[in-house]
Amino acid sequence: MPEKLGTREDASSAKSFNDAMGVGTGELTGTRHASEDGVQLVLRGVDHTARPTWKLNETVEFYRDILGLPLVHAISARGWGPPGHHDFLHFFFDAGKGATIAFFYYIGSERPERYGPEEHHFYFATHTAWAVDTEEELIQWKETLENRGIKVSPYTKHEILESIYFTDPNGYPVEITRRLRETELIDEVDAKLTIQAALEIETESREAGQLMPDIDTVWRRKAKLVDAYKESAS
Amino acid sequence: MIEVHVIDVPEFRPMVETQRDNPEVTISGPVKGYWTIQAPTQLTFSRKAMKMKPAVWYGIFTGGLNGEIAEWGRDEVRVIGTNRPL
Repeated sequence: MPEKLGTREDASSAKSFNDAMGVGTGELTGTRHASEDGVQLVLRGVDHTARPTWKLNETVEFYRDILGLPLVHAISARGWGPPGHHDFLHFFFDAGKGATIAFFYYIGSERPERYGPEEHHFYFATHTAWAVDTEEELIQWKETLENRGIKVSPYTKHEILESIYFTDPNGYPVEITRRLRETELIDEVDAKLTIQAALEIETESREAGQLMPDIDTVWRRKAKLVDAYKESAS
Repeated sequence: MIEVHVIDVPEFRPMVETQRDNPEVTISGPVKGYWTIQAPTQLTFSRKAMKMKPAVWYGIFTGGLNGEIAEWGRDEVRVIGTNRPL
């Protein structure tokens, strides 16, 4: 690895958008697993999330002035790289622990219809949850934002998280969350078994030319896997 | 025989606690992190008795369920035995 230090190829040398952005086919045949080369890759948390905006004023007012997050970095540049790339602004709001919430504003473009918000859980699945440390901080977020005129969801306690939700002027969902407890070994064991059950049901459903029928089918398979796990020696 | 596996973590433990006085069920565990609740023909859980919010309530069988959900409302779920394969 060290031989690449200081001599890396640059994205500007790429011949296409897909090459510049590392866009693959999604095909996994011929790929190798981490267990095969023994290299453990590591992530160290969030640097930034990024989404496009076609409402520069409202986005800055919302994040900087209403939420009060410092604007800490802004790139303004001519479009470069792939053909047709707009001139753009790329700007970053501080989200704590070195992470930032970033936006792209593509100059001279209009928002395509399909980038608009939808009232559907598929749309809301794409979101980022920003962390607070305590119950007091979560309550302070909800009450302060409501006092500032922002509509905020009720509190939702998931299994290990308690969250509130609101949307920004672009319609993007924002989640603020706190951990209710630290995860334990059993959480990891259980996650493996749940996903194993679901993987098996997906494979079997595909082989039968069907969609996965329901979560109950996964739970029944999970019961079988947990039975085996409890009886296993380790 | 109905069998419900319950992960031994705070948010799901009320499933076990609220069945402790039910003479119809057998509770064992936790074995390697899982409680197991067994019942011969029928098993009912109450959301209010377990003091659960919906986000946890609708995932209570995530530990594994050998049985069939006969009815599932906002406040009560009834599980019956099944011969369907696991």
